[in-house]
Amino acid sequence: MHVRACSVVLATVLIVDDHAEFRSVARRLLQRSDFHVVGEAADGSSGRAAVRLLRPDVVLLDIQLPDEDGCELCRALSAEPEAPCIVLISSRDASDYGVRLTSCGALGFVAKADLSVAALDAILEGRR
Amino acid sequence: MDNRARMLRVALPRGFPGVAGKLNAPGRGAAPWLLGVIGAVGLLTAGGSATAWATCRCGKLPVSGEAARVIVGLCFVAVGLIAMSQRRRRRIGLLMVAVGLTWFIYDVGWVYMPLTYTIGTLGAGLYQPILAHLTVVFPSGRIRSPVDRTVVVGAYGLYGLASLGTQILWDPRDSGCPCPTNLLLLHRDAQLYAIAEQASSALLIVVTAAVLAVLVWHWRRAGLPGRRALTPVLAASMPIAGLVVATTIVGENFLPPLAVLALTALPLAFLAGLLRMRLERAAVGSLVVELEGSARIGRIRDALARALHDPTLEVAYWLPSQKGYVDGDGRPLTLPAEVSDRSVTFLERAGQPVAALIHDAEVDNNPELVEAAAAVARLAIENERLQAEIKAQLQQVRASRARIVATGDAERRRIERDLHDGAQQRLVTLSLVLGLARDQAAATADIALEQVLDEAAEQLRLALAELRELARGIHPAVLSEAGLHAAIESLADRLPVAVIVASSPVTRFEPAIEAAAYFVVAEALTNVVKYAHATVVHVTVMYSDGHLTVEVVDDGVGGADPSRGSGLVGLMDRVGALAGRLDVASEPGRGSRVTATLPCMPRQLPDNHGVGDSPPAGSLGQ
Repeated sequence: MHVRACSVVLATVLIVDDHAEFRSVARRLLQRSDFHVVGEAADGSSGRAAVRLLRPDVVLLDIQLPDEDGCELCRALSAEPEAPCIVLISSRDASDYGVRLTSCGALGFVAKADLSVAALDAILEGRR
Repeated sequence: MDNRARMLRVALPRGFPGVAGKLNAPGRGAAPWLLGVIGAVGLLTAGGSATAWATCRCGKLPVSGEAARVIVGLCFVAVGLIAMSQRRRRRIGLLMVAVGLTWFIYDVGWVYMPLTYTIGTLGAGLYQPILAHLTVVFPSGRIRSPVDRTVVVGAYGLYGLASLGTQILWDPRDSGCPCPTNLLLLHRDAQLYAIAEQASSALLIVVTAAVLAVLVWHWRRAGLPGRRALTPVLAASMPIAGLVVATTIVGENFLPPLAVLALTALPLAFLAGLLRMRLERAAVGSLVVELEGSARIGRIRDALARALHDPTLEVAYWLPSQKGYVDGDGRPLTLPAEVSDRSVTFLERAGQPVAALIHDAEVDNNPELVEAAAAVARLAIENERLQAEIKAQLQQVRASRARIVATGDAERRRIERDLHDGAQQRLVTLSLVLGLARDQAAATADIALEQVLDEAAEQLRLALAELRELARGIHPAVLSEAGLHAAIESLADRLPVAVIVASSPVTRFEPAIEAAAYFVVAEALTNVVKYAHATVVHVTVMYSDGHLTVEVVDDGVGGADPSRGSGLVGLMDRVGALAGRLDVASEPGRGSRVTATLPCMPRQLPDNHGVGDSPPAGSLGQ
C-alpha cells in the first residue's frame, strides 16, 4: 500500500459524504484546528475525481454513498500510487460493519457522532 | 402423419362404465346394413366367379384350384367384415374387403369376351398393391411415416406400370390360347412381352421385399401390444410372400390348389392379430385389482403404465383453478407438442377435462385398451386429481408464505435504512453542531451555557443510542453488511452473559435465510437472559449438505415451553415459511437447546462483503 506519511500539522482533508449538512458541520469542526478542508464531494464518483485533483492528505469517506459502496471506493483509492490516508465514517457503529472495515485499506473508522479533531488525531497518530 | 388423429379423446360418462363399449368414443363399427351389403356383394362376386369359371369353354383350372381361389377371396372379405364391425378397425376392414373383392377380378377373365377377358387379365394382380397397403398400415389402418407412404404409393404405382406395360404387349394368340382378343394390345411382340413379363415379376419381388422389410421394421419398433398384433401377420407373410412371388412367376394356373388354399393363412393371421389386441383388454382386469390397493400417490400412473405396457406413461391432472395440467405432486406440467413421439389421450367428463395420459405414440395402436383402462381408473384418477389440486394449492400457499416473510424482511430493512438515512443522520449532525456550540461557549468562558450544552449533548447521545437500538431490533445492519457470524458476534457482545460463538467458515446466504437464523439466535439469547439464569451460552452456526443449522445451548434452569406464547412460536412460522424446522428441547434443570435448520445454498457475492481475508490496515477508531 502506498500511503503518504499523514502529517497532523496542516493536513489537507477531503470530505466525501452525501449529507450536505454533515459536510458543512464537519468542515467547521475541522477548520478550527490544524486540519485544512480542501474540498467536499457528495458521492463516490466526484469523490474519486476530487482525490485525483486535490491530492488531499486525509479523506473522510462515508461508507454509504448514493452511487457506490464506501469500502469498495476505499479499496480502490488506497491501491492508487500516493494514496491518501482514508478514514471511514458512518452514522452507524463500527460493530455494524464487522470485518469489512479492516479489510478495505482504511486507516481507521470513526462514527459520525464521535467525529472530533481529537478522534481524528488519534487515528492519524497511530499511523505516524 | 395425421397428428389430430393421434390426440385421442376419451370421454368418461357420469356413471361407472361396466364395459368399455359403452364409452361414447368416436369411431364406432360399421353399421350392420353396410356389413350385410358388403357380405352380399362378396358372395355374389364369388358366385359369379365360380359361374364364370364353370361356364368357360376352356376351363384350364381344375375344380379344386378354382374352389381354393374362391375360399381365399371369401376369407379376406369375411375377415374384413369382422374387422369393420369393430370400432377403429373400419379402415383395416375395408382394405381386407378390397383385397377379397379385387382377388376375384381374375375370374372375370373366364367370361370369354374381349372386354371381360381384358379386364380379367389387366386387373388380376390388383389385390397385390392393396395387400401391400394393408400389411403396411396394419393394425392402425393409418400411414404413420414417410417410409410407409413411400412403400404404399410405390406398390400402387409400380403395379399400375407393370400391369399396363405387359397388357399392351400381350397377344393371347402367341400362347396358342383360344382366348378372346386383348383390347389393350398395342404392339404384338412375343419377345418384348416376355421381357416385360420378367421385368414386372422383378418389380413385384422388389415391392414384396419392401413390404416385408417395413413389416419387420414396424415389429421391431412396436411395444408389446403392437407386437402382439404384428407377430401373426409377420409369421404368415414370410412364406406367403414367397407364394405370391411364385404365383406371379409361374402363373396361377400351375400352382397346386393346396398352395392357393394356403393363402387363406394371411387373412386368418390378420384376424389373429386383431383378436390378440382385443385380448390385451384383459390387462384392465388386473388394473381393477391394483387400484383397490393403497392410496399411494402415483399408483395410478404405475398401474396404467403396466396395463398399457408403457413404462414412460405420465398422468397429468387438469386443475380448473389454474387452467392447466399438473403432475401428481401438483407441479405444473406441459403437455408434449403435437408433433413428437409422445402422444396424449385426454380424459374428459361431461365435456370438462379431467386428466391427460401422456404416453408413447405406440399406445395409440390400441385405443380400445386405453379407453378401457381409463374408464376403470376413472374414480381413482379423479381422486388423485383432487389430491394433486390440494398439493398445488399447498405449494401456492407455501410460496405465498415465503413471499410474505420476504416482503416483511424487505420492509424491515427499508425502515431501518430510512431511520439511518433520516432521523439518525440529522441527530448525528445535531450532536456535532452541539459540540461546536459547546466549544464556543468554552471559548467565551460561559460556564452555565457550557453545562446546558453538555446536558443537551448527553441527552442527544442517549437518544441516538436508543434510536440505534430500535433500528437494530427492526433489522440489524450488520447482518446485511457483514453476514450472520458478525451479526451474532455483535449481538453476543451486547449481552450480560458469556456467549461463545462457534461458526463454520464465513459464508453468506439469502437475506431471508440470514434473517431467520439471526432472529432465532436473537430470540433464544433474549430468552436465556430473561429466564434461564445461565452462566454460559454456546451459539453454533454450521453449514453442511445444503442446510444451515443454528443452535443456541445454555446451562440454565431449562423448562421453557415454546408453545406458551414465546417469541419462538412466531419464529417457527418464519422458519417454516423457508421450509426449515425449529426444535426446542428444554427439560427442567438441564438447560435449553434451540435448533433451527434451514435448507439453503451459499450466496455468491459480487465483492468480498463480510469476508475478511486481509489483515487490518491500521488502528481502528474509538
